[in-house]
Amino acid sequence: MTTAGLIPRNSLAWLLTAQVVVLLPHLPRLPVWVAVLWMVCALWRVQIQRMRWGYPGIVTKALAILVSVAGVYVSQGTLIGLDSAVLLLLLLFMLKLLEMRDPRDALVVIYLGFFLIATAFLFNQSMLLALYQCVSMLVLIAALVGLQQTSGRNDPGRAFRTGAVLLAQAIPLMLVLFFLFPRIGPLWAVNSPGQQATTGLSESMAPGDVANLAQSGELAFRVNFEGPIPQHDQLYWRAMTLSQFDGRRWSHTAVSSGGPPGELQVDGPSISYRVVTGGASHQPWLFSLRGASSTTDELVLTRDFMLRARRPISQTTAYTATSWPDSLLDPQGLDALQQRLYLALPEGSDPRTREWARTLRRQYPDDAELIQAMLQHFNREPYHYTLRPDTLGQHTNDEFLFDTRRGFCAHFAGAMTFALRAAGVPSRIVAGYQGGELNPRGNHVLVHQFDAHAWVEAWLPGRGWISVDPTFQVAPERIERGLQEALRGEGSFLQDSPLSGARYRNIGWINTIRLAWDDVNYRWQLHVLGYESERQLSFFRRWFGTADWQRIGVIALIAAGLVMLPLALWTLRPQKRSNDPRKRVWDKLHRRLVRLRLQARDGEGPRHWQARLVAALPEQQPELDAFFDEYVRQAYMHTVPVDDRASVSALRSRLGALLRRLPRKRRPGPVTLVE
Amino acid sequence: MRDVLNGALHAVDQVLLGKQHAVKLAVACILARGHLLIEDLPGMGKTTLSQALARVMGLSYQRIQFTSDLLPGDILGTSVFDRNSAEFVFHPGPIFAELILADEINRATPKSQSALLEAMEEGQVTVDGATRPLPDPFFVIATQNPVSQSGTFALPESQLDRFLMRLSLGYPSMAAEKALLLREGRRARLDNIEPALTRDQLHRLQQAVPEITASEPIIDYILRLVNRTRESQVCAWGLSPRASLGLLAAARAWAMLEHRGYVIPEDVQAVLPAVVSHRLRASDDPAGHGGGGLAQWLLNGVPAV
Repeated sequence: MTTAGLIPRNSLAWLLTAQVVVLLPHLPRLPVWVAVLWMVCALWRVQIQRMRWGYPGIVTKALAILVSVAGVYVSQGTLIGLDSAVLLLLLLFMLKLLEMRDPRDALVVIYLGFFLIATAFLFNQSMLLALYQCVSMLVLIAALVGLQQTSGRNDPGRAFRTGAVLLAQAIPLMLVLFFLFPRIGPLWAVNSPGQQATTGLSESMAPGDVANLAQSGELAFRVNFEGPIPQHDQLYWRAMTLSQFDGRRWSHTAVSSGGPPGELQVDGPSISYRVVTGGASHQPWLFSLRGASSTTDELVLTRDFMLRARRPISQTTAYTATSWPDSLLDPQGLDALQQRLYLALPEGSDPRTREWARTLRRQYPDDAELIQAMLQHFNREPYHYTLRPDTLGQHTNDEFLFDTRRGFCAHFAGAMTFALRAAGVPSRIVAGYQGGELNPRGNHVLVHQFDAHAWVEAWLPGRGWISVDPTFQVAPERIERGLQEALRGEGSFLQDSPLSGARYRNIGWINTIRLAWDDVNYRWQLHVLGYESERQLSFFRRWFGTADWQRIGVIALIAAGLVMLPLALWTLRPQKRSNDPRKRVWDKLHRRLVRLRLQARDGEGPRHWQARLVAALPEQQPELDAFFDEYVRQAYMHTVPVDDRASVSALRSRLGALLRRLPRKRRPGPVTLVE
Repeated sequence: MRDVLNGALHAVDQVLLGKQHAVKLAVACILARGHLLIEDLPGMGKTTLSQALARVMGLSYQRIQFTSDLLPGDILGTSVFDRNSAEFVFHPGPIFAELILADEINRATPKSQSALLEAMEEGQVTVDGATRPLPDPFFVIATQNPVSQSGTFALPESQLDRFLMRLSLGYPSMAAEKALLLREGRRARLDNIEPALTRDQLHRLQQAVPEITASEPIIDYILRLVNRTRESQVCAWGLSPRASLGLLAAARAWAMLEHRGYVIPEDVQAVLPAVVSHRLRASDDPAGHGGGGLAQWLLNGVPAV
């Protein structure tokens, strides 16, 4: 019967706390039965500790495993993939409680806990989670310390403090690893977690869809400009073109985006900016101003002048881009396939719109004048910009243009594109975001989902694709100042999201907090999450003048050594400087005698040491005896106060006399250490 | 006083040859008012030592041979009905002496062991509802064979803790054994011993022990030692406050035997193995209770100054 074979009660308490803390970040993704299972396991383990219940038998354990795996299969639909794998790991983490007999089993639970902390970051990389996981680490380490405590000394507070000290000591090394450890690309493609729910723009658009998106206060992306921030009405963030119409929906086709990039004739001033996406959109679309190009590796430029990621965005992504908004896009002409695509209309739909377009065409043979006339139509006629459009019937464009006249940007862009195509002008819808909110703290622009917008691109011979925005004609304040201003009268801005901070932008202090918090998050994403291989390499070039991995490896090792050295010295310091002046005098003598290799042995008392010293240094016996006698007299014979100056200086003077008489160096030849 | 102490030590040394350190520890144990456990193989001089001590100290002496059929009443005494006076008269047991030799204590049943150990702790015995004080000084020397020998009941840790010191005499050196064989036997030597101390002198010496100066650095040293056993994983459990009290008392007694009015770290180190080794057990030694290695580990691991 050994006490080493039991898990201390204090340690079990820490272990259960650690489990709760580690499980919490996973909770939103967990089915309810998992939480119930944990409670059962925890209760069972506590009852085992109280010696009320026994450990489960092998049949019960096998059954528990089977039921858990079946449960995962039922609730996830599969056993393969990140979600199921993490869930299985969590279940094993809980079930291990039931066979946690000795400290070694508890170690398994703790190490699994560390692994689960890491898995939480597969789903979320926010700063709050990172801070929270620091606490989780602390609790796990405290559990680990608690496991090592001897009985009678198992104070939970002490375990926690020791854990905190250990963690604090690891911080310098963590920083070195953060900056210098190579950012290797993913070794295998992890299926992006979650239910693959795409957020943001979708690849096809019926008139009502953008209006739904406009109800979301979520962040789409943030932009940081090099140089001045352009005007609100210049910020047309292009994401994709919609060029196929089936009578109801506009869809994206690979014909318009596929193939080599279109011809870009650079003109006018350039704008450089860095975009950080707001999270996982699970779509490849990225956001850029007109006439963009990017040097970031993971991006491609499409045929229709969009930036696109090679893979769907499964985590926060950052890229830099430069745009020339005044450049000409495809000025030389479109090939036959493109011509057909951008003029195609479904058979028989919207006869009234077609008739209206043909009338205008006869009036204005010039394309530019025709476009102008259409925009004037939107401007003059009583169109109304609203988030609550009327339901449209079979011929959506006809009904919108001539009957209801109430709509959102998608209605205006769709109807105008239809009319342009009917009049023989190649055109398409551009979907993306318009505008954004300036965060004066970080000097960056926030673009939310409710900034989603759709506008029109028409192709004119010699001028290429030009952008026109019919919404601007109806609601110029939407373009100049944003959605909230445009909907001021209607009160429908974010009406379904009462908790969204963006809704309360008008309340000063809430807005200040919101923007400050946003700024902190942005910096986190830009500097911590955004510290990818590209930035790391430039960091190396800037500070070390090299990006050669071998040399970086050496530098990393040296840096880690430099960081750990003071810590090691501090931990292994021979003896900290004592508060007791007598002890300091003693230590001084000891240091000197270490050089003569006559140091006190482990745990040796003063008189024994003195005898040994006298035997080794017979010539110095008077001084040695004087010092040691005085020391013993002060320390042990009387209770002389520690800060009694006279006695301390008496001791010092005896030490001085002794040190003067001691040889500088160890005498040649072996000194026999006499007992 | 100095001569008295030296004389006492010398007298015992005459009987138990070549065991000066053990004899000195045993005397220190008496001076510190602690009880002594001697653990050794048969025939090593355990009984001789106790008898010599009793004679030198001038104490009344009783020997109880512990056997498996010994009953508590055999130790404490029993009440016997006196036909003449028609009432129960208490016949005190062998425990009513100043120095008791409890020989082979681990051969008796736990019930009888407890009777003795309770008396040791309380300094009094209660028989038939009447509490009777034991003489003062009251000093128990228990001997036991090592636990590995068959037919024994090992003392549990809680009872081991009652003994201030545990000594092991060990084999004598060649020279000492030669002297033993050459000259007269132990029995004759014992008879030659004259008491070196009066009861009164012993009493005064015992009262002087707590007066010996133990300065704050010494207390700190004892605390460091005790704490080390509590914090380290090497020991299955740490030393109790009773152990630290005992360590201090024994160190004071040792200083007195060294004719010093104050304790120095060497005094603590001299008594420490005897005081702590039976109270400690290594974590990786589930059955044993030999802490000799642990005492050395403790002395080496804790700075004395």
